[in-house]
Amino acid sequence: MLTTDKLTYWYTSADQALFKDVDLTFEAGYSYAIVGQSGSGKTTMVSLLAGLDKPRAGRILFADHDIAKIGLAAYRRQDVAIVFQAYNLFTYMSALENLLSAMAITNAAHKGDKDYAKEMLRKLGLSDAQMTKNVQKLSGGQQQRVAIARTMVCDAPLVVADEPTGNLDEDNTDAVIALFQQIAHEQNKCVILVTHEPAVAERCDAVIRLANKRFTWEKTI
Amino acid sequence: MNFAKRAWLNLRFKKGRSALLILVTSAIMLFVLAGLLIRNAAATATQQAKDSVGATLTLSANRDAAFKQMRQSTTSGKPTMPKLTTSPVKLSTAKKIAALNGVASYSATVSTSANAKGFDAIETASASQGFGGKLPGGTTSSSGDITVSGITSTASNANFANGTYKITSGRGLKAADADSQNVVIETNLAKSNHLTVGDTIKLKATTGTKATYTLKVVGIYKAKSSATASAGPGQSDPANTVFTGTTLANTLKGSKYAGTADSVTFNVSTPAKVASVKKAAKTLINTSKYSLNADDASYQMVKTSMKSVTGFANKIVWLVVIAGTIILALIVILMIRERRYEIGVLLSLGESRAKIVAQFFVELFVVLIIGIGVAAAGGKVVGDKLATQIVSAQTTTTTSSQQTGGGAPSGSQGGAPSGQMLGGNTQRRTASMTNPSQKQTQLQTQVTPQVLLVLLAVGLLIIFIAILVGAGGILRLQPKKVLIG
Repeated sequence: MLTTDKLTYWYTSADQALFKDVDLTFEAGYSYAIVGQSGSGKTTMVSLLAGLDKPRAGRILFADHDIAKIGLAAYRRQDVAIVFQAYNLFTYMSALENLLSAMAITNAAHKGDKDYAKEMLRKLGLSDAQMTKNVQKLSGGQQQRVAIARTMVCDAPLVVADEPTGNLDEDNTDAVIALFQQIAHEQNKCVILVTHEPAVAERCDAVIRLANKRFTWEKTI
Repeated sequence: MNFAKRAWLNLRFKKGRSALLILVTSAIMLFVLAGLLIRNAAATATQQAKDSVGATLTLSANRDAAFKQMRQSTTSGKPTMPKLTTSPVKLSTAKKIAALNGVASYSATVSTSANAKGFDAIETASASQGFGGKLPGGTTSSSGDITVSGITSTASNANFANGTYKITSGRGLKAADADSQNVVIETNLAKSNHLTVGDTIKLKATTGTKATYTLKVVGIYKAKSSATASAGPGQSDPANTVFTGTTLANTLKGSKYAGTADSVTFNVSTPAKVASVKKAAKTLINTSKYSLNADDASYQMVKTSMKSVTGFANKIVWLVVIAGTIILALIVILMIRERRYEIGVLLSLGESRAKIVAQFFVELFVVLIIGIGVAAAGGKVVGDKLATQIVSAQTTTTTSSQQTGGGAPSGSQGGAPSGQMLGGNTQRRTASMTNPSQKQTQLQTQVTPQVLLVLLAVGLLIIFIAILVGAGGILRLQPKKVLIG
C-alpha cells in the first residue's frame, strides 16, 4: 500500500542526512510501530509518510502512485488520516462537530451524516452528553479517542499516528492501542504509529527501529 | 460551505474575541463612513453651488487697450489733454455671442445721464457739489442729475435679480420695452415728486441736440438702504437712477451710440461652460477693442472652499483606512498566529489554503457587517459633527482670505463702464459672495445605500489585506512546520 523509495531527508545539509535511501513497505490490514530514541527522526519519517512535508530525495508511493504527483494536500485529504500526541482537535467545537468538520473537509462517504459520527463516538466510549460538549471539557483520553474517531470516519486507508499515547495513562493507552488494532484488522487499514513505549510497539504487528540513521525491522509480519 | 460553518462556530465560541473585533471594526467603519459622508456632502454642496451660483461673461470696451493707446498718443504727439477713446459694444455682436451653445440669456447695459425737466432730482450735500462744474484742466462736465440705466429687462439685471432692487409698484421692464419710452424710477424720487405709475416725466439730454423726451413711469422700485447709502462724494444720489430700455438710453447718450451698449452680460447655463463660451466668443470680437471677462468668482469660491472640504474628507478617509488596516491587520495577525495550530490541523486534514483564508474571511465579514450596521446607525451623527467643525474652520479661512484680498474676485472690474458703478457690479458681487457662505453652513450628510456599498468595499479591502498579511506567512509553510515547528 505504502512504499518509500530511497527516501532521504536532511535539515541543514545532505552530508548530515537524518536518514538516507530508506526503502520500506507497509501493507493494508496491519499495524506498524516505528521506534527509536528521541531526536532520531521518527516524527520526521511519520510526517513524510503523512504528506506533511516533502522528502529531500526519493519518493513515497501510495498505491504505486507518487504522493508528490497526487498532491500533498489531496493525499492528506483522501488517503491519510493523522493522529497527533496533542490530539489536535478544533478547540472551538464539540466532539461531534470535530468529526463532522473532518468528514466535510475530506469529503468522506458519510459526509454530513450526524448519526454515523455519533455512532462512531459511541463505539469509542463517549456518551451523547460528552460528544456535544466542547472538546476542551473532555479528558485527555477522551480527546484522543475523539481524534481516533476522526480518522475512522474519514475513510482514509492509511492511518498515521505520532506518539498517540504519549499523554495517556495506562488504561487509556491500552484502549487506544486496541482501537488502532481494530482499525487495522477489522477495517483493513494500514496503521503506522511512532512510539517510544516498548509496550505499545510490542502490541503492533510489525516494529521498525530507527537507529544510527538506519531503519531495521525488529518484528516482521 | 464547511469553512463558513467553522467560521460561525469559532465566532460563537470565542464571544469575547468576537466582541472586541466588532468594537474595533465598528470604530474604524464609523470614521470611514463619516469621511465618506462629508466627502459626498461636499460634492453635493458643490453641485448645488454650480446650479445656484451661475456664472456670467461680460463684454465691454477694452479699457486696458484704450489706456495703452492713449498713452502712446500722448507721448508721440503734441502735449494735449489725454483722451480715452473706447468703443461701445455693438448689439449685433452681442446677439451672435448669445446664440452660442451654453449661453442662457444676455442683458445689455447702457449708462448715461440726463437732466430732470419738470421734476426735481434728489440732492445730497456731497452730490450737489460736483455736477455740471468744471473739471480740472478746464473741460466741462456734461453729466446730468439723473442717471439713466438702459437695460434689456429688469429681470435680467443683477440688482433686481439678487434683490438689491425690488419693484414695489407697477411692473419692471421687459425685453419688449427695448424701444419704448417706458421708465422705472426709484421710490424716493417718486415720493418727492408725487409720481405714481402711469405718470410721465421729462428728461433732457445733456449731449447732441439736447432734446427733451417724455417717459411713462411703468414701475417704481425700492433700493435697499445699503445700495442707496453707497453714493460717494461727487456722485449722484442712487435714488436718481432710472431704468429705461437700451434704445432710449442710447438716444439720450447721443446718435453715435445707436445699436450699442456699454456692456453686455451673458448668463452662462453652467459655470463649467464659461471657459468654452469665452473661447468661442473671443473669435467673434475684436479683442483689441473689446474685452470679455468671466465672472464665475462666486462659483470658483464655493468650488475652492468645497474642494478643500472634500480634500480634508478624503484625507480622513485615507487616514482612517490606512490606520484601520494597520490596527485591524495587527489584531488579525495576532489572532491568526494564536490559531496557528488550528491552521496546521486543517492543513493536515487536507483543507485547501484558499478555504482556510475563506474561513477567516467569513469570520471577519460577519464582524464587518455588524460593524457597518453600527457605523450606519451612528455615522450621520459623527459625520454631521465633523462636517460642522470642518466647514466652520473652512468658512473662517475663506472669510479671512477674502479680507486680505486673496479671495476677491476680479470679475468684470477691468471692463466695467464708469456709469455702471452706481448700481452695477459692485453690489452684485457682494451679494453673490454671500450665498456660498450660506451654502457652506448647510453642508448636510446623508447615509445612502451607495455610501454603505462603498463602505462595504473599503471594509472588505481592509479585512482582505489584514488576512493576507496575517495568514500569509503561516500558509506558506509546510503543515509539519506549522504543527511541529
